[in-house]
Amino acid sequence: MARAASDDDRLLIERVRQGDQDAARTLYERYFDRIYNYVYARLGRVEDAEDLAIDTMTRSLTRLDLFHDQGVAFSSWVYRIAHNATIDHYRRQGRVILVSLEHATLPESSDPSELALQQLSNEELREALRQLTDEQQQVLILRFFQDLTAVQVGEIIGKSVGAVQALQHRALASLERALQGKAMQ
Amino acid sequence: MRPEGQRLEALAERLRGVDPVLPSPAGKIRGWNLVAAAVEHSAARRPRGRPAWRLTLAAAAAGVLLALGAVSASANSLPDSPFYPIKGALEQVRGDLAFSPSDRLGFHLDLAQARLTEAEAMIARHRIDLADQALVSMDEQFQEAADVVAAERRAGPALAADLQHRLQQAIESHDRQLAGLQGEVSNPTAQQAIVRARDRAAQVLEGVANNAGNGNPGGNAAGKSQGQGQAQGSGKGSPTAHPTPKK
Repeated sequence: MARAASDDDRLLIERVRQGDQDAARTLYERYFDRIYNYVYARLGRVEDAEDLAIDTMTRSLTRLDLFHDQGVAFSSWVYRIAHNATIDHYRRQGRVILVSLEHATLPESSDPSELALQQLSNEELREALRQLTDEQQQVLILRFFQDLTAVQVGEIIGKSVGAVQALQHRALASLERALQGKAMQ
Repeated sequence: MRPEGQRLEALAERLRGVDPVLPSPAGKIRGWNLVAAAVEHSAARRPRGRPAWRLTLAAAAAGVLLALGAVSASANSLPDSPFYPIKGALEQVRGDLAFSPSDRLGFHLDLAQARLTEAEAMIARHRIDLADQALVSMDEQFQEAADVVAAERRAGPALAADLQHRLQQAIESHDRQLAGLQGEVSNPTAQQAIVRARDRAAQVLEGVANNAGNGNPGGNAAGKSQGQGQAQGSGKGSPTAHPTPKK
């Protein structure tokens, strides 16, 4: 997924503020797929992902007045809104949606400590990822599914680069344990 | 067994190889139609930015306007506008003309929505102090609305239940808006003001629910006991209906 230049975003944002629908369409095209992919990774339901991605883009493009005082890239701001929409979705549901790891077990291997990663389906990996803490999920999805740098992730979740790297390490270790634990059962 | 570093790097590589899930073309088109409509609506109702020289000119022109002109200019004014006190007076008049419980409830809910819109605009203009005042006023309107519900319980339980439902829906809707706003602002003072506003509204909601559960017709729900509002009675003529910023 191509990453937008922030200067280009800025020009488009100014045009959207003046009511330019074409500029809004360009920003929508630039970010909708990424946000959909992010939300889907978090929730695992196509219907919810579509609704929340639309909600995120609506908020992003109609509340640009609030973007003034952020001091962060527009893309980071959009991801923050997506994250908050996800948390709000959980809250409205009254529960945290946890997907069972039943189907995310690692195939048995002659060496049980070694992950047979290539045999895991993408969906199984996503399901396993959803078992992690909110922050851990966020970091792994942004770093590896969205291909963002540690600096960008830090900007989105409000942490230093060092903290993001530490969190990423713990998240990978947790993911490995989750997968191994199921494989050993 | 491989060292941890190698294993985690392999896991990271595997995650990088996960193909992105893309929305359906139909879903994307549906999304754009909804977003485009919202953007258009937002552009139509967004208050235009006023540079200082324009504000000065507007203020000078206002001096020669007839009272009617000033009244008209105040209709969409914001807390940092010189016309804002006139807006409060107009709201007061409108409140005086709301006679039925349903109208009075609608009046207070409309004012709560107006205060929320003002708070958002003030946050966008970095006037967190005025945003906070608008949010306090918003919750006072909810409390006034709760008092209308409580007063109606004595006379008509069926209508009271309907009013309570409207109030609950309004508070929940505002809470969703505030939750979104909370995630969008980076200023800690603004975030705290939003958190306080949500807490106060939740207390009003809880007070209404408790009163309904206890069959208590009294209207003194939680918000007042917290000393956060100056609301008195059932709303009309209340000083809190006036949006003049408190200094």
